[in-house]
Amino acid sequence: MRGKERLKHEYITRFSRWRIIEHQANAIAFIVLVITGLSQKFHDSSLAEWIIINIGGIDKARLIHRYTGLVLLVLTLQHIVIASFGVIFRRWAPTMVINKKDFTDVIDNLKYYFGMTEWPARCDRFDYKQKFEYWGVVIGGVLMVLTGLILWFPTLVFRWMPFLPGQIIPAAKATHTNEAMLAFLVIVIWHIYNSVFSPEVFPLDTSIFTGKISKERMIHEHPIEYERLTGVSLEKPHHPAEGDEEGTGEGSQDIV
Amino acid sequence: MPNRMLIAVVALAALAMVQTASGASYQPGEEGAICLGCHAEKGMTTTFRNGETLSLYVNDKELAGSVHKNLPCSVCHSGFSPDQHPKRQYKSKRNFTVVKAEACKQCHTFKKGIHVQMLGGLKDGVCVDCHGGHSVQSMKETSGDGCTGCHRYPVTMTFKDGTKHRLEVDENGLKASVHKKLRCADCHFGFSAKEHPERVFKDRRNFRIVAAETCRRCHFDKYTKTLEGIHFNLLLSGNLKAPVCIDCHGSHTISSGRHEKVRSAQRCEACHGEIYRTYSTSVHGKALISSHNQDVPVCSDCHRAHDLSDPHVADFRNNIPQMCSNCHANEDLMKRYGLSTAVLRSYLEDFHGVTITYYKKQKNSVRHIAVCTDCHGIHDITRTKGPDASVVKANLVKRCRKCHADAADNFPESWISHYEPDFKRAPLVYAVNLIYSVFIPFMIVGLVLQIILHIWRYAVNR
Repeated sequence: MRGKERLKHEYITRFSRWRIIEHQANAIAFIVLVITGLSQKFHDSSLAEWIIINIGGIDKARLIHRYTGLVLLVLTLQHIVIASFGVIFRRWAPTMVINKKDFTDVIDNLKYYFGMTEWPARCDRFDYKQKFEYWGVVIGGVLMVLTGLILWFPTLVFRWMPFLPGQIIPAAKATHTNEAMLAFLVIVIWHIYNSVFSPEVFPLDTSIFTGKISKERMIHEHPIEYERLTGVSLEKPHHPAEGDEEGTGEGSQDIV
Repeated sequence: MPNRMLIAVVALAALAMVQTASGASYQPGEEGAICLGCHAEKGMTTTFRNGETLSLYVNDKELAGSVHKNLPCSVCHSGFSPDQHPKRQYKSKRNFTVVKAEACKQCHTFKKGIHVQMLGGLKDGVCVDCHGGHSVQSMKETSGDGCTGCHRYPVTMTFKDGTKHRLEVDENGLKASVHKKLRCADCHFGFSAKEHPERVFKDRRNFRIVAAETCRRCHFDKYTKTLEGIHFNLLLSGNLKAPVCIDCHGSHTISSGRHEKVRSAQRCEACHGEIYRTYSTSVHGKALISSHNQDVPVCSDCHRAHDLSDPHVADFRNNIPQMCSNCHANEDLMKRYGLSTAVLRSYLEDFHGVTITYYKKQKNSVRHIAVCTDCHGIHDITRTKGPDASVVKANLVKRCRKCHADAADNFPESWISHYEPDFKRAPLVYAVNLIYSVFIPFMIVGLVLQIILHIWRYAVNR
C-alpha cells in the first residue's frame, strides 16, 4: 500500500512546455471555432441566435470564426512542419505513427473489457486512443482549414483553379459542416471522457497542464515507455502482444 | 250619455279634418278650372314656325301633384286669363320652352348660389329642363335624396385656377358600384337637398385630395394603413401627384378590386407605366395578361396596397424571400406549375439566407445581400427553365460581381440551384453528405460503446 501511495506522488515529465502551449492554443481555437461555427450551422436555434446576437451579429461571428480559423491554420501547419522535420531528422521518435501493435492493442483491450483476458493492452508512449485522436485532429484540421479557405474566398478558387467544377464550393461547405460536427462530437464524447470523466483520471487528467504524469498512471497506462525510460522491468503479466513491439529506440520524451 | 256624445264629436271632427286635408290636395281654383276646361282635352296642338307641333294638353293629375298646384295658371302663363287668350307665335319648340321658362324668374331669382354656378355649365339650360313644367316638384321628391335631380346633368363647378369640373354623375355606373346601397350624403357629408354648402377649391387636384378624405369615415382600417404607406407620405411631403383613395379605386364607379387582378395592376400603370410594361413581359405579367391567370402576383401582392413601403429601404429588401415564398412555398399552388417549394428553405440555408435572416434579427442591415430578385429579376422575372434559361444564367455572373467583384465567369455554377444535391445534379456534394451520414453515426456509436465497456470493466474490477 505504501509503495503504491508513493507512486501516486512521484511524477515523470511527459510533455514539454511547447506541447502544453500548443494544446492550450488548439483547445482555445477549437472552442471559439465550435461556438461561432456551430451557431452558424444551427442558425435557426434560439441558442445560436443568442450567441450570434451577443457576439455582435452574423458578420462579426463570421469574422471571429475566420480569424480563429487562421490561428488553427498556423497551429496545424507549424505542427506538421516541425513534427515532420523532427521525425525525418531523427530528432524525435515517431511515437505517433500508427503501427500494427495499435490494432492488436484494440483487440486486446476489447478482450480485456469482455473479461476474456486478465490484463489490458500494454501501451507505449501513446496508446491507440490517443493516436486516434491525434490523427483526427491533424487530418480534421487540414480538412477544416482547406474547406474553410475555399468558403472564405470562393471567387479565388475559380480564379486560380478554373478547371474545378462549380460544385466544389457546396462540396466544401458540406465537408466543412460535417467534419465540424464529427470533430465536435468526438471531442465532446471521446476526448472529454478520456481526460475528464474516465474513472482512471477523474476529476481531470492534469498532465497536459502540468506536463507531468504520476508514476502510478505511467506504469498503468504506458508500461512500455516506463520500462524504456527507467530501465526497470515491470512485473508484467503474460501478454500476447508482448514482444511485438521492440523498444522504439531513442527514448526521447519530447515527442509530438 | 255624455261619453257617447264625446266620441261622436271627435269622430265628426276627425272626418272633417280628413275631408279638409283631401280637399286641400287639389283645388284648380276658378281660373284653373276654366283653363282646364279646354286644356284637359287631349288632341289640342299648336304648330311652330319650323313645323314642329306641341300638344297643349295639361295632365290635371300631374298638375295636382306639383308644388305649384295652388297657383293660378296666369301666374306663369302671363297675359292669359279667362278673358284674354292672346295668340303667340314661336320659332320652335325649344324657343317656346326658353321663353316660357323666363316666367320662373318672376319668383325664383338666382343672383348667387348653386344655380348661378351650375348654370354656368348649362349655357342653354333653362329651369324647366330640370324641374319640368306643370309637374314641377320639390327636388326632394323627384329623386331619392335629390342629388341626381341636378347631378344627372352636366353641371360644373369652377376652381380658383379657372378650370371647370363636371359634376355629372353617371347613375348607371353608380348603381353598378359596390357603394350602390349608400346614399350620396354618406360620402358627401354635409350635403343634402336642403344643405348645399358652397366650397371653393384651388384646383382639380386639391378637390380630389379633399374629396378622398371622406373614405376614411367607413374604411378607417385602410386609412390607418395608408398612414404608413409611401403614397401618403409623399403627399405629406408636398407631392400632390401621390395617389389618394379615389385615384386608384375610382369614385362613383368604385368596384371591388378582388375580382379582376389585371385591373388592379392597371391602376398602378396610370403612374408607373414603365414598370407595368416591364411587368407585362415577365413570367407573371404574361400569364396575367394573356391567359388571365389569377394565381400570379400583381403589383399589390408584393408591394401591398395601402401600407406599401418604399422598396428601396433595407426592410423591404430583406423581406423579399418571405414575400416570394407566400406563393413559392405554397405546395398546392406550385404543384400546378411543376415548381419546387424547396426554394425558400434552400435559400435560407445558404450563406445569403443566413446572413439576411440575421440582419433582420439584428435590425441592422450592414449591406445588400442577394435575395430572390437579384438572380431572378424584379419586375422582369423570367422562367429559369426553357428558352430563357441561358439569359438568366448569363445575367447571373453580373449580379454576383456586384458583391464578389473578382468572380470568374463560371462562378455562378457554384450555386447548385434550389434543389437538394442529388447524385445526378451534384455528385460531389451528394457523396460528401452520404459518406458523413454513414461515418459520423458509425464513429459515435463505436466510441460510445467503447466508453460503456470501459466503465463496465472498471466497475467489475472494483
